[in-house]
Amino acid sequence: MKTKNLRTIIAAAVFAVMAGGLIAGVSTGTLSGFGWDTIAALCPLGALGTMIATKTMIPRAVISLVAMAALVLLVGRAFCAWLCPTTLIYRIRDYFRSPKKRKALAEQKNAEIKAISQQELDSLKPAKDAKDAKGHACGACGKCQPVKHGKLDSRHAVLGGALLSTAVFGFPVFCLVCPVGLTFATVLVLWRAFSAGDATIGIILIPAMLIVELVFLRKWCTHFCPLSALMNLVGRFSRTFVPVINDEKCLETAKGASCSKCAEVCQFDINLRHPEFGELTTADCTRCRACVDACPTKAITMPVFAPSKKKGAVEVLEPSLEDLEPKLD
Amino acid sequence: MAEEKKEAAAVPGDGAVESKRAERGGISRRGLFIGVGSTVALLGLGGLRYAGHNPLNRPPGGTDEAHLVSGCIRCERCYEACPRKVIVPAKIEDGLLGMRSPMLDFNTGNYCDFCYEENGGVPQCVAVCPTEALELPASYTVGNPETGETGDIVIGTAEIDPRTCLAYRLTGCRDCYDACKYGAIELKDEGGANPIPYVIEDRCNGCGACQAVCLSLSSGSIKSNERAIVVRPIEA
Repeated sequence: MKTKNLRTIIAAAVFAVMAGGLIAGVSTGTLSGFGWDTIAALCPLGALGTMIATKTMIPRAVISLVAMAALVLLVGRAFCAWLCPTTLIYRIRDYFRSPKKRKALAEQKNAEIKAISQQELDSLKPAKDAKDAKGHACGACGKCQPVKHGKLDSRHAVLGGALLSTAVFGFPVFCLVCPVGLTFATVLVLWRAFSAGDATIGIILIPAMLIVELVFLRKWCTHFCPLSALMNLVGRFSRTFVPVINDEKCLETAKGASCSKCAEVCQFDINLRHPEFGELTTADCTRCRACVDACPTKAITMPVFAPSKKKGAVEVLEPSLEDLEPKLD
Repeated sequence: MAEEKKEAAAVPGDGAVESKRAERGGISRRGLFIGVGSTVALLGLGGLRYAGHNPLNRPPGGTDEAHLVSGCIRCERCYEACPRKVIVPAKIEDGLLGMRSPMLDFNTGNYCDFCYEENGGVPQCVAVCPTEALELPASYTVGNPETGETGDIVIGTAEIDPRTCLAYRLTGCRDCYDACKYGAIELKDEGGANPIPYVIEDRCNGCGACQAVCLSLSSGSIKSNERAIVVRPIEA
């Protein structure tokens, strides 16, 4: 089974169980605070928000924060690809796209990634021509440069804004508009409309807020989500299950052919082959395995511990550089 | 340094690709726009605090309205935990600030017994609340339906609307009187042909048993948005 389908099934099953629990009154919690009875794993942003707003230490919130940090350290933003209901909504959105639009979007991404890959391969040439050059002088495969996760982006600004507003006004502001919470709220408001005849504007407004966030705001997860920003801050220290490319198998390094399929399929805008061109880095890797599945030569694996990087430039084997010539001309 | 070197070494290529690389260097214009826009939007949303919302009957431990609003992250666990299913999400119509926060709806036909029956007087909504938005003092007593003690935990106070109450129409209805376990409703002209209920406010803890059984909307042709006896939040 393709991992993508497996992910959808897991996310849908978890969502169904939690939504069912919400309707039937079985204490499963929602993704904002799941657990049994008095045990709850809280949403880390909610935990932070509620402590800032009430200006108190809340034991269950602190424990949840520590537990979540440990999980993110282990599997990065896996929540985003495997559990978050927004991925389900995105799949539904994709399903309703016309085949024409879908094709156009895929072609656009393909062209963009291919252009990067081609340009980087081209830049290999002069390095190869200079006989005395050791290895190559460019960032063609991202191996030469240490991966830098240090950057903050628009998501972190949203996170900062959310926490600032929480501190100023004293209530967890983002919880009002959190898409995860809104998804469960939609279930509840619809269920109440049918079971209790409870008519409220919420039946329209709650799903409408979700649609605005996920459909009209472009790339919520990459550009807006403060939860993803929070996980990024810990995920950048994660060294486990990070995808790595075996350069001896990779088409780009072994054969000098432009491929970058891994970058093309990454839903979270990471370019594994040419990291400096991806919008995000492996700090945001969700361990979704899309790149592992897509790699035509099975060069990508997700080992428990990434092999330690050698310091300085990594030399690309001479024979593989020889292969460049015929392909590029 | 490494960044500069890379730029120098890169073969000048197609402009789109180059600009894409530069984007990672600092904060892009779009990033700035999103960051500033979202912060302003979230601060605006925070301003709802001053807009407030209609007073609501909160679950036990939620009567400190300011604390509840500060602590609640809308995780919806209290709805699930409530054995009588009287906790429901507040509607948008009652104010955006309180939207989806927990309130008690006695029109469901059930009421709050502070989990006396189900959990020995420890309200389960308070027990499951992971953020302590619902919080009870260290020592408290809850309403005891057996002894008729009112307890310290007060949700609200029942109020009868004489215009819609069936008893005032001399139907002899006394369902609320029968439902109240705390002696908070008494009858004028008890034993007479037409007893009329009234509320003893000091004895009422707002459990909602009276509202849950009130027939005024379901029998008779009374036009009103609410039942003849309703629990009003304390602050109102």
